[in-house]
Amino acid sequence: MSGPTSSGSPRPPPTASAGRRTWNAVVGFMRVLRANPLTMAGFIIVCLIGVVALIVVVAPHLLTPYGPDQLTTDYNLAPSWQHPAGTDGIGLDIYSETLYALPLDLAIAFAIAGAAMIGGGGLGLVAGFWDRPGTAGGWVSIVVLRITDIFLAFPSLILALAIAVSLGRGVWQLIVAILLTWWPFYVRLVRGETLAVKHLPYVMAARAAGVTEGRIVLRHVLRNVLEPVVVYFTLDVGTVLVTLSTIGFVGLGLVYPSQAEWGSMMSYYQNAGLITAQPWTVLGPGVAIFVTVLAFSLLGDGLRDILDPRSRRVLAGTGTGSSATHEEPPVPVAEDQGELPTATEAPASG
Amino acid sequence: MTDAVVAIDNLSIDYVVGAGRFRAVSEVTLEVPRGHVVGIVGETGCGKSTLAQAIPRLLPEPPATIGGGRILFEGTDLVQIPRWKMPAIRGTGINMIFQEPLNSLNPAFRIYDQVAEAVRIRKLRESGAVAVRRNEPPGPFDYSRRPNPTASDAWSGKIVPGGAVQEAVHRREVDRRAGGDRAALEKDVLDYLRLVRINDPETILNLYPHELSGGMRQRIMIAMALSEKPSLLIADEPTSALDVTIQAQVLTLMKELIEEVNTSILFISHDLGVIAETADELGVMYAGKLVEFGPVGDVFSSPRHPYTKALLRAAPTRYKSDGPLTSIPGNVPNLSHPPSGCRFHPRCPIARPVCKVDPSPPLLAVEGAAANHRSACHFAKEVPGIP
Repeated sequence: MSGPTSSGSPRPPPTASAGRRTWNAVVGFMRVLRANPLTMAGFIIVCLIGVVALIVVVAPHLLTPYGPDQLTTDYNLAPSWQHPAGTDGIGLDIYSETLYALPLDLAIAFAIAGAAMIGGGGLGLVAGFWDRPGTAGGWVSIVVLRITDIFLAFPSLILALAIAVSLGRGVWQLIVAILLTWWPFYVRLVRGETLAVKHLPYVMAARAAGVTEGRIVLRHVLRNVLEPVVVYFTLDVGTVLVTLSTIGFVGLGLVYPSQAEWGSMMSYYQNAGLITAQPWTVLGPGVAIFVTVLAFSLLGDGLRDILDPRSRRVLAGTGTGSSATHEEPPVPVAEDQGELPTATEAPASG
Repeated sequence: MTDAVVAIDNLSIDYVVGAGRFRAVSEVTLEVPRGHVVGIVGETGCGKSTLAQAIPRLLPEPPATIGGGRILFEGTDLVQIPRWKMPAIRGTGINMIFQEPLNSLNPAFRIYDQVAEAVRIRKLRESGAVAVRRNEPPGPFDYSRRPNPTASDAWSGKIVPGGAVQEAVHRREVDRRAGGDRAALEKDVLDYLRLVRINDPETILNLYPHELSGGMRQRIMIAMALSEKPSLLIADEPTSALDVTIQAQVLTLMKELIEEVNTSILFISHDLGVIAETADELGVMYAGKLVEFGPVGDVFSSPRHPYTKALLRAAPTRYKSDGPLTSIPGNVPNLSHPPSGCRFHPRCPIARPVCKVDPSPPLLAVEGAAANHRSACHFAKEVPGIP
């Protein structure tokens, strides 16, 4: 393809290879991050957490001096070079245990938030798009929403605790208990967004162009609903983690020390009366929860800019230059066609 | 007229709002002859947009309901056919350009993706892959060029019964069969962007809608509509949101394109100048009724309904210097309680007692005017005499 696009513009032609398009997407993503230091920090910490979790799963000895459940003869030691977060009364290394808990905590949090997003979000999309009273879709919508209301009427933590009690202790029981209280928020969020989007002129225009209803939902509506939902999801991973730890802390989550999980760890040491005598036992998992939740919150805040093509183009286009250009409004409008190449090249060269 | 793309017959559309029910369009009869541009003018709230959206059944029903009448599109009554068949008629059969060019493109997709979707829909239908159900004779909305699918086709999964999921599953296969691989599709998209006189379409392809001006976006909407080669294009105030200079460009463009793509247009506007520029025939609506219909020159030069006359006098004209603009006395009637008799009688300068009682006559040919110039006034003959 000829024309000004091929000379230094970050935009690939639509027929460019998939690899080239992906690379450009990554470059744009990094530029948005650079323009937004807090998001950058969140992104880096989330990446680090991910890498650490991966290493712990694949080759734990690289990071943790002691194996899981490996009892040492060092009892009740304060943090030292040998035991960075100290040890407890039966000789477990708190630092190692905290790291061992990381993959499990992350997996549970992502599983819950992900399943809630896909399940609840899907219901919300359907309930929002086909909500005309009197039709089959309208009835489905009413049923979904009333069930959602019932679940939302309970305080979610107490409901989760009650379900956790009745199901017993274990990873799957924990996931089910939290998930059952978690999906209604996504129904509400996605339904609200869908209701707003489905009346916009471009949905009507797509319909006028002969696009079928199913495709309108999956392509036109879903893509425009996705942005707030993904942002909410990222923030939500942190919230799930906190809830998970809370359930663990009140003694209804996993059983520590047979399974390391941050909330259960804190619960165990608190019950052992170590919270004042040997505060480092609680500090390890506590700091881990804090850092992880904070990282996801920071990332979630900036994610909106990355997903929205409007702000993405502005931030990405000016990301390499001085910060002064960030203030410019996003109006590379091409009224007279002759201006267009310059209008679109400007951000690329700047 | 026999060869009409769409013939609207006695169409009424009601809105049900709360306990109330009012008739936004009442008993409109209208034909769009093939290859013609039919304009509809009227004040805000006279039902012209409702009429426009009702033809491709785009009105949200409820609150709107079709209170009676027929919409014959290529001989098929769109009021009768089931809703799930409508997507097959929209796009390639009846397409529509909306008033809001700024919001009619999806902000999340590049221009290429949006125009390509329209081109693809047409190719898909031309390839015959989206067949109507078996054992059903192909309707006028079946754009199949293939012979009817046989039982063995159905058995071997070659045909796709209507439905979004199957359509998506077979899309790839169809793209290949219709020569719709990416490069060919892009070439088509570029052709249509050039058709609407967009310079440097290669760059435009990669832009998002928010990076384009209103005029450019409206041109892209037109490109999308034309790329589906519709038999009828409904333009609902396509230039109202645009600058005057851009308006002129878009109008000239549309007129040129009618000949290039061979489509008929129903052009809705409240702007008499725009209509005079574009239309062959003109319909005038007042309070949900079509009050006058005729060749655009005749209607402008010798209107045969008092409302048309008043409307023309109220329009600013560049060369007219006969004092201040006249407005029509009174207000547009509330459609939940329309006036008795002729709906214009409270504001009409030549109203007689009979106008209060007798509902306005149907559109009738006017004595002494062109053959297809019709007016819904008892005293159409006297209209030219109104000072």
